Amino acid sequence: MLSVRKNEDVCFELRDMNFSEITGENQPLKGKQEADKKNVAVLSGTSKQYKTGDTTITALQPSDVVFRENELTLVIGPSGSGKTTLLSLAGCVIYPTSGDVWVKGQHVNTLNPDELARLRLYNIGFVFQNFNLIAPLTALENVMQPLRMMKIPVKEARKKAQEALEMVQMGDRMKSLPKQLSGGQQQRVAIARALVGNPSLILCDEPTAALDAKSVSIVMHELKSLAKDGKSVAVVTHDTRLKQFADRIIYVHNGYVSETPPDEEIFN
Amino acid sequence: MIATAYKFIRYDKPKSIGVVIGIIISTFLIGQQVGILTFLTTLMGGLVSNSDTGKADIWITDKITINANELAKIDGSVAREVRSIEGVESAYPIVVTPAVASFSNGKTAPVTIIGSEAPGFVAGPLKDKIIKGSLADLLDDFAVSADFYDASTLTNSTDVGTELEINGKRAIIKVQTKDARGFGGSFFYTTLSRARFYGNFPDDKVSAVAVKVKEGYPVEKVRDEINSLLPLVNAWKTEDLKSSTVRFIVISSNIGSSIGSLVIFAIISGFFIIGLTLYSSAMDRVKDYGTLKAIGATNGYITRLIIVQSLIFAVTGFILAWMLLEGFRAGVKNAGLIINISPLLLGGLFMITFLISVGSALFFSVRTINSVEPASVFRN
Repeated sequence: MLSVRKNEDVCFELRDMNFSEITGENQPLKGKQEADKKNVAVLSGTSKQYKTGDTTITALQPSDVVFRENELTLVIGPSGSGKTTLLSLAGCVIYPTSGDVWVKGQHVNTLNPDELARLRLYNIGFVFQNFNLIAPLTALENVMQPLRMMKIPVKEARKKAQEALEMVQMGDRMKSLPKQLSGGQQQRVAIARALVGNPSLILCDEPTAALDAKSVSIVMHELKSLAKDGKSVAVVTHDTRLKQFADRIIYVHNGYVSETPPDEEIFN
Repeated sequence: MIATAYKFIRYDKPKSIGVVIGIIISTFLIGQQVGILTFLTTLMGGLVSNSDTGKADIWITDKITINANELAKIDGSVAREVRSIEGVESAYPIVVTPAVASFSNGKTAPVTIIGSEAPGFVAGPLKDKIIKGSLADLLDDFAVSADFYDASTLTNSTDVGTELEINGKRAIIKVQTKDARGFGGSFFYTTLSRARFYGNFPDDKVSAVAVKVKEGYPVEKVRDEINSLLPLVNAWKTEDLKSSTVRFIVISSNIGSSIGSLVIFAIISGFFIIGLTLYSSAMDRVKDYGTLKAIGATNGYITRLIIVQSLIFAVTGFILAWMLLEGFRAGVKNAGLIINISPLLLGGLFMITFLISVGSALFFSVRTINSVEPASVFRN
């Protein structure tokens, strides 16, 4: 059983398996490899605290979370609950205060910032709330950027980026600058950029917050199909309407993580 | 990388233009000031550098002179005595004397009369600087040379055929030179005897003696020999006398410190103006840099991206400043200000531009952008 701690006296028990089972520890080699293959990112007893002057804010209590292949995991919770911190930890953009983070079998705690950057480049795709396309670059150049950072030759990078943009139906806007695109179009370019390096884990921070209803549906269907294709997709949101797209839901509230809502009223 | 850097530059046109203008102004100012200083140093050493260095390996002056423009009189016998020293092929007496030139328009001007023996004219003028007439014309009665660029200083034509008076004695310009000038006075070249005549210079005295060393003899050895055998005079290698003259004037006139401080201020102000504009531009793009870091760019990649931008600025600004310098050079050439934009000056200017641009980018922008956390992209 995977336990998620909420203070010392509260303990949610999650489905599936305990951490050692997830990571494959104490299992035969074959079982470990299979477990590692399925679990793209594993947070084990992971917490995060921020210091502001003399004050220490606990953004995430010690938590165990797993993001698996073929799953669209919805990380849901109100603003300030710690869901973005959870996403940041899984996305290797911050180090945990305590506990361990594993991404594609690599122990994130032991990696230096440059190694973390390379881990993100090759294994993680990001989709941001405000799209975060590089303003001076065209849609095509934005999508080419991760490939160029991987030192893939320009010609090949261009071809792959074109394919990724065509996949999200943005093939006709490749030469447009981000400011020339609508919110929905920008988000689709951002998805193409997240996908183009063929990452195992796609982390989306409020990807639909700035979109109209029609664009929300398009974007979520894109993400859902990616999960079906074998990616692990995690979507952070406070929009409960997205539940219909989720294979699994993780609730975050006041820094505590659970797979069952601690208080349904909060989330509905 | 270069394409991405260029896109970043092009996207923020006002600030990019600001950076390029900053580089142009700094580089142009530095180039202009160094060019003027180089021109002035050429003038300072003009008496020596306009002489026939093929014949003048050594200059003999009075004992205390360290500035060729302030030669005191030495005994004329020095020229004869020095010819007997081993290694000396020939010795040429030179007379340099101040005078006042009066023109038919009533204008007067201080000039320097430089006389050396015909037909060699070891003190000058050099053949390649003669634009009208020839060295042989200086043998004509009353013949002197005058420089094309000195026409404005003398407020009179310096063309061949112009009549004038030197210290009240009739003279005719028979040879016109171009850029055979000195620092602070127009050079009028003539024969040795005529220089004595115009300058009322004693027959038994000379201002300096130019010495030609025999082939195969080390110039330094002959110089030392002269200095030991003739204790009342000082023998210089030609280049040493020129450098001593330039050094003396640069220091005593404060030209060096004033131009040097201007160059230093141009570098410092360029560093801060360019650095702060680059910083402001980088801060405008902080979200983009944060995003690049979040999607996998290392600090090394971000540093290279910013450095490449600063290099593009440096090259663009340098080329434009160079063009501006060439324009300035062409513009002031007719006024007699000859700025030589040598490969050395260009190389130095590019290095300074490079250091200002890349240094300020490293100092202001790279440090700040490298401290941006990739997690900042989640904070909107």
